[in-house]
Amino acid sequence: MRKRTLLASAIMAGGAVLTAAVAQEQLPTHLKELLELGMHPGHAYVDEGREMFHTPGPNGKSCATCHGQDGKKLEGAYAKMPRYYKDIGKVADIDTRILACMTKYMGYDKNDKKFMKKFKKWNGPYRVPLASYVASLSNGMRIDVKLDDPQEKELYKMGEKLWYMRVGARDFSCGICHTVLAGKRIRLQGLPDPVKNKVYAHWPAYRFGSDRMWTMEDRVRSCFKAYLLYTKQWSKKDWVKKPPPFSDWVIALELYMKHAANGATVEVPGLLR
Amino acid sequence: MRKFVLAGAFVGLGLLVACQPAAQKAEAPKAEKKKLSSKEKFKIALANQDKWQKACSNPTQLVPEGIDVETFKKEMLATVKFPEGGVVGKNIARGEKLFGDPKKGGKSRRGNCYACHCGDPKILACGNIGPSLRGYGKRGIDPKDTYIRIYNSWAQNPCSVMPRLGYHGVLKPEEIADIVAYMHDPNSPLNK
Ligand code: HEC
Ligand code: HEC
Repeated sequence: MRKRTLLASAIMAGGAVLTAAVAQEQLPTHLKELLELGMHPGHAYVDEGREMFHTPGPNGKSCATCHGQDGKKLEGAYAKMPRYYKDIGKVADIDTRILACMTKYMGYDKNDKKFMKKFKKWNGPYRVPLASYVASLSNGMRIDVKLDDPQEKELYKMGEKLWYMRVGARDFSCGICHTVLAGKRIRLQGLPDPVKNKVYAHWPAYRFGSDRMWTMEDRVRSCFKAYLLYTKQWSKKDWVKKPPPFSDWVIALELYMKHAANGATVEVPGLLR
Repeated sequence: MRKFVLAGAFVGLGLLVACQPAAQKAEAPKAEKKKLSSKEKFKIALANQDKWQKACSNPTQLVPEGIDVETFKKEMLATVKFPEGGVVGKNIARGEKLFGDPKKGGKSRRGNCYACHCGDPKILACGNIGPSLRGYGKRGIDPKDTYIRIYNSWAQNPCSVMPRLGYHGVLKPEEIADIVAYMHDPNSPLNK
C-alpha cells in the first residue's frame, strides 16, 4: 500500500507539466510501462469483487447463485449497460444493477442505513469491487448499447440534453469542458473528450491521483462539483454539489456517453493519472 | 472521505434532514419547513437555469439560440452593478489575491483566474482556456470594459466560457474593482 502511494506520487511529480492524458491509448509512457510490468492497482479491486461475487448474502444466496460460477452468465453484460431491466422496471447502470440484485435477491435491506452507507462508499466491499469485477467479465468485447426500449430512448435524450445544459454559478455544462474545451488545460489538467474518444471503454478506472478505483457514477457525480449548483439565492449558499447516486440524471449521462462509445472494446480496469 | 459520509446520509428520500445547514434551518420560512430530499434539491438547482443559460445550451454551446446577440448583450449589460468608488479599486493587494494568490501558487477560491488564464509569469500553473493576460494593462483597454468582462462576460461575448462572476455573486462589485486595479496597475506583475 505504502509502496503504491509512493510510486504514484513519484509518477505524478514526473508528469506534472503534462497536457491531456486522454484515452487509454494516449496514456503517458510512465503509466504504460507500469501496465506492461503488470503493476496495475485496479486489479486488486477486481480480485476483491470476484471474492464478493461468491460470498453469500443474508439469505444465503450469492451473485454466483444466479449468474454462475465465475460470472459465466454475465460475460458481455456490462458491454450492453446501462439498459432497461424488466425485473426492476427501469434503466440501470452497473452500480444501480448491483444494488438491485443485492436488495431484491440476496436479502440485503435497502432501508438499512448502515448497509447503504457501506454500499455507497468508494472503499466499501460491495459497489466498486463488484462493478470492477462484473465489468471485467466483458473485457475484449465491443460496447453495444442498443436504445431499443422507450425508457432507454427517453433517458438517452435526457442525457444528451444534460450534456449541453449550461447551469449553476459557473455557467458550465459537461459540453463546455469536454466538447468545446477538449484538448485545452484547466490549470494543468488536460480536458478529455469522453464522447468523441469513447473513453467509456476504460471505465471503471483506477486513478493514481486519488489512489482509488472510480465507477462512472463516481466520475460523473464528481464532475458536477465544478458547477456550483445551488437552490436558494446565492447569499444563502444552499449548495447542491452532486446529483444523488443511482439517480436518472447520472444514468442518463452514462447512457449518452456509453452509446457514444459503441463499437469500442471494453478494457477494464482502466488506468488514469 | 467526508463527502462519502455525506453521501451516506442521502439514503433514499426524506433522510436529508441531516444535510441542511443549521443557519438555514433557523431562517427558513414556514412554507419551506418540510425538508427537501437530495433529489428535490438537485431538481430545483437545474430548474434555476436562467433564460440566457438556456439560450446557450444548444450543441454549439457558444451561440445563443432564441435571443439575438445584440439583445442578449444589452440584457446582460443591464445586470451589471458598478461600485460606488468607481471601477478601479484601491486595494490592489486584495485584487491580486482574488485573481490568484501568488503565495498559494496562484490559487483563489472565488476568482480563480489562473484556472483559465496565464498572467504573473511566476505562476506556471495556469490554464490555456482564455487568452493570456500578461501585459494586459499595457493594451490600452478601458478599465470599465475590464470590469464588465469580469462582472458579466456575456455582456461582451454571449455564451462565453468565462463564468459571469459578478452576475452570480461569486465576486462582489468592490472585489471586482480591486481585480481591475491589479490588472491595470503599471507595477503589477502582469504588466512588467
Ligand atoms: C470545469 C470542468 C469540468 C466540467 C464542467 C465537467 N468535467 Fe468531466 N472532467 C474534468 C476534468 C478536469 C477531468 C479529468 C481529466 C483527467 O483526469 O485527465 C474530467 C474527466 C471526466 C471523464 C473521464 C475522462 C477519461 O479520460 O476517462 C468523464 C467521463 C467526464 N469527465 C464526464 C463529465 C460529465 C458527464 C460532466 C457533466 C455532468 C462533466 N464531465 C463536467 C472537468 C470537467
Ligand atoms: C472557465 C474559464 C475562465 C475563468 C475562470 C476566467 N476566464 Fe477570463 N476569459 C475566458 C475566456 C474563454 C476568454 C476569451 C473571451 C471570451 O470568450 O469571453 C476570457 C477573456 C477574458 C478577458 C478579456 C481578454 C482580452 O484579451 O480581451 C479578461 C480581461 C478576462 N478574461 C479576465 C478574467 C479574470 C480577471 C478572471 C478571474 C477573476 C477570469 N478572467 C476568469 C475564460 C475564463
